[in-house]
Amino acid sequence: MNIRQLRLKYIVWIFLLSIVTSESSAQQADSKLQDITPDQLQEVVDSYQGEKAVLINVWATWCAPCIEEFPEIVKLQRNYSEELKVIFISADFPNSRDKAKEFLKEQGVDWITYFKTGKDEAFINTVSEKWTGALPFSKVIDINGNVVDSWEKKASYKKFERHIKTAINP
Amino acid sequence: MKKIYFVLPLICALFLIAFLPLEKPMDELSIGAKAPMADVEVTDVSGEKLTLNDVARKNGLLVNFSCNTCPWVEAWEDRYNPIAKLAKENGIGIIALNPNAGYRNKGESLKDMKERANQSDYQFYYALDKGAKIAKVFGATRTPHIFLFNSDMELVYRGAIDDNAKNADKVEQPYLKNAIKDLVMGNQINPQTTKSLGCTIKWPR
Repeated sequence: MNIRQLRLKYIVWIFLLSIVTSESSAQQADSKLQDITPDQLQEVVDSYQGEKAVLINVWATWCAPCIEEFPEIVKLQRNYSEELKVIFISADFPNSRDKAKEFLKEQGVDWITYFKTGKDEAFINTVSEKWTGALPFSKVIDINGNVVDSWEKKASYKKFERHIKTAINP
Repeated sequence: MKKIYFVLPLICALFLIAFLPLEKPMDELSIGAKAPMADVEVTDVSGEKLTLNDVARKNGLLVNFSCNTCPWVEAWEDRYNPIAKLAKENGIGIIALNPNAGYRNKGESLKDMKERANQSDYQFYYALDKGAKIAKVFGATRTPHIFLFNSDMELVYRGAIDDNAKNADKVEQPYLKNAIKDLVMGNQINPQTTKSLGCTIKWPR
């Protein structure tokens, strides 16, 4: 095998490796937005009981107030990374899934978030009996699994933080 | 000093209310409640001034809080005219009210509504809910949000049009159609309330 053949072999290997790497990172990005059913959502929420306070935020790319408050919630997760788990759930239509993924990437969300599946009513009632279905919707749950507060409409960093502090130290 | 005795409990009460750790109800109009503000004039896209009482027919009234800028309205819109037809055939008046007072300069003006009504060939009144006052007393929260009243203007059904916004062919539960039919036939409406996702009302600032 001469030097030219070796160089060619090396280039082919690099090319193949780059394909495998890019596919794996694409899968990783995709796996960060996971479909969720109402039952699975309950399991996810319950898994943090006794460990962290939880903020559930239901949003959609078409929802202007959701997009406005979104960066504030990302900031909260960063500032309270040890004590709080933010569970984002996209309520976008299935054909807007890529748009949702793109938005999450732009916002620097590097943890697993969810994509609502199934019928509206079961989903709404699992998130909260008090929720009428209007977006955005947020619900703060304390470390013991008790609801601190929930609301429709967007909120400020200050409001989120006030409830989260209560949820961390109930 | 006496003032302190008066002010202190007040401050404490306000503090407790502000931090009450409970989920707050959203106060939607209750089943059986009379239609509020039924004699308040609203302006239809045709320019006509009318009230909910004017729109009601012998068997009742259907109010749909709707708007121009919500994807959920767009998704359900193919069912608007068929439902209007069904309501009218069954002696029920129908009106869509636009409560998005906070977005009047962002696609929700009366002019925008007129364009939407023309484009989508609305076969029902589409009126502006000035200051979202009617939406507020109804406890409406989103668009679309349905309120169906009987001949005594008492609420008999509240909630969603059906259980599949995106695809009319895949609807399993046509809640509103069933409610209209049951209302006219004198049957018990079941369910009386349903929920669906929707765009939050853009309240005046």
